[in-house]
Amino acid sequence: MSDRLQNAAPEGEFFETDRFAGLSVLLGVVAFVALALCGAGAAIDPTQFSFSWLFAFGFFFTLCAGCFFWTIVHYATDADWTVVVRRQLENIAVLVAVLAIFFIPILLLRHHLYEWMNVAPGKEATLDSKRAYLNLNFFILRAAFFLGFFIIASQLLRRFSVRQDKDGNPQFTIRLRKVAFASLPLFALCLTFGAFDWLMSLNYRWFSTMFGVYIFAGAAGSSMALLVLVITALQRAGYLKNVVTREHYHIMGKWMFAFCVFWAYIGFGQYMLIWYANMPEETQYYLTRNTESWWSLSMLLVIGRFFGPFAILLLQSIKKHPRQLCYVAAWILLMQMLDIYLVVLPALHGTGVHVSLWDFAALIAIGATLAFAYLRIVGKTSLFPVRDPRLVESLKLVN
Amino acid sequence: MRTPSGHEVYAMGAEYPSPAALYEAAKMVRDAGFKRWDVFSPFPIHGMDEAMGLGKSWLSAVVLAGGISGLLTAVLVEFGPSWGLYPLIVHGKPYDWRTVPAFFPIMFEMTVLFSAFAAFFAVLIMNGLPRPHHPIFNWERFKRVTNDGFFLVIEARDPRFTELEARELLERSGGQHITVVHED
Repeated sequence: MSDRLQNAAPEGEFFETDRFAGLSVLLGVVAFVALALCGAGAAIDPTQFSFSWLFAFGFFFTLCAGCFFWTIVHYATDADWTVVVRRQLENIAVLVAVLAIFFIPILLLRHHLYEWMNVAPGKEATLDSKRAYLNLNFFILRAAFFLGFFIIASQLLRRFSVRQDKDGNPQFTIRLRKVAFASLPLFALCLTFGAFDWLMSLNYRWFSTMFGVYIFAGAAGSSMALLVLVITALQRAGYLKNVVTREHYHIMGKWMFAFCVFWAYIGFGQYMLIWYANMPEETQYYLTRNTESWWSLSMLLVIGRFFGPFAILLLQSIKKHPRQLCYVAAWILLMQMLDIYLVVLPALHGTGVHVSLWDFAALIAIGATLAFAYLRIVGKTSLFPVRDPRLVESLKLVN
Repeated sequence: MRTPSGHEVYAMGAEYPSPAALYEAAKMVRDAGFKRWDVFSPFPIHGMDEAMGLGKSWLSAVVLAGGISGLLTAVLVEFGPSWGLYPLIVHGKPYDWRTVPAFFPIMFEMTVLFSAFAAFFAVLIMNGLPRPHHPIFNWERFKRVTNDGFFLVIEARDPRFTELEARELLERSGGQHITVVHED
């Protein structure tokens, strides 16, 4: 234990951006090409493209929001194990600023996505009763609030944490705790209503009060999986060797396991209540997703997002083994992608799966841009908070 | 083994000044090859499992068995009547395997219930509980174990136990107040 303390560099470890300049350029080029392709897609097939873009946006937004969630939970619960991995959570969470730019295409293509924007008032009674909430001005105002909150709060979390790297002033931890406490309810509201606005209102006739929690459950679990992959990639590159140990992997694995179960719990709760009550305006959502070729993808989601990872992550040895845990983490990310796909795309292709080129283009465009932005900021600070008052406890972690 | 005064010997115990000293002593006793021994402290000490050479507990296997039997019980009592013995149409729902969403909550609850029972009783059995009295309480100093005492006790039923060897080991590991504890 004491060896580990001495080995941890007192000034922190720094990611050498120059070493990965090639990767950065590659990602930049890929992002540029894919974004250009997306521009073409928006012109050629705006309807299909807008749904593909929303799918990619939703996938990456849940990942960033999930990392934001883990950071505020760290401060709110005064956790110590997260300290050594927290900087990467902060780095991923601030990427939400890039995502805010990618929200603009959704606003521009809104008439292709959200049918409720095209129905004139007085035409449909069910919609008219929701007009107080579902109207364009309020929609834009809310989106600005949600994204603004995520940007400001994630910037605050990272900025104070980085400033603490210099002098180790515990005052920053206390200030961050206040930020976290204020953020917890706001995060819950923003993610819930963000999910309602951007994903659930694709079909304005359908509603589920559990939908926000459902999106949250997927976000928290998959962002933990992303963290495992990012930390392992950094360790592969030779960083954090004496900082992140098997014990940290064990805890990250436990959280992945916990959120597999939580996702299943919420997902099943939502499904069963609708299935049992059997009311047409509620069942339509699942009817689309459980018929035709969507059925096999829904089954894959149930088995792949819950039963598979559940059985595998029960084993302690897997959670303590970084390489094996990475396979599970990558799989969970893939399943999160499928989950968002199954939320968004059936709203367009009600008659069956229709994979489009633009699905991949949008995914690669947003993903490569975010990875590029991540590489730009990861080298700016130490890879772990070097002067955090709880760093020693985190380094000595045993569980 | 008996003392000269005719008492049956339960064990030999020693007290240590700190958790760190107890931790180091546990490693020495483990390396000396003793099997029937234990350490006592007012709070859990991180890493003590390894220092004592304890393997993975088999409690998890018992809990898994309990969980699986709970799940199977639920499957049996739900599908048995609904599918075979007494099919009943409720809410216009099918009564074959497609009605499984309605059964999941019960399956889940039974799995949790049986796992909890298995864990509870397995812990009792593994620890030899309930047990109103224990010979270690014949040692007056041991009462401090819930306050500020750190103890290591080697039982006399350990095949390697001899009074000389145990005393020598406990002394070498820095134990204080080394005492022979009587069985009754």
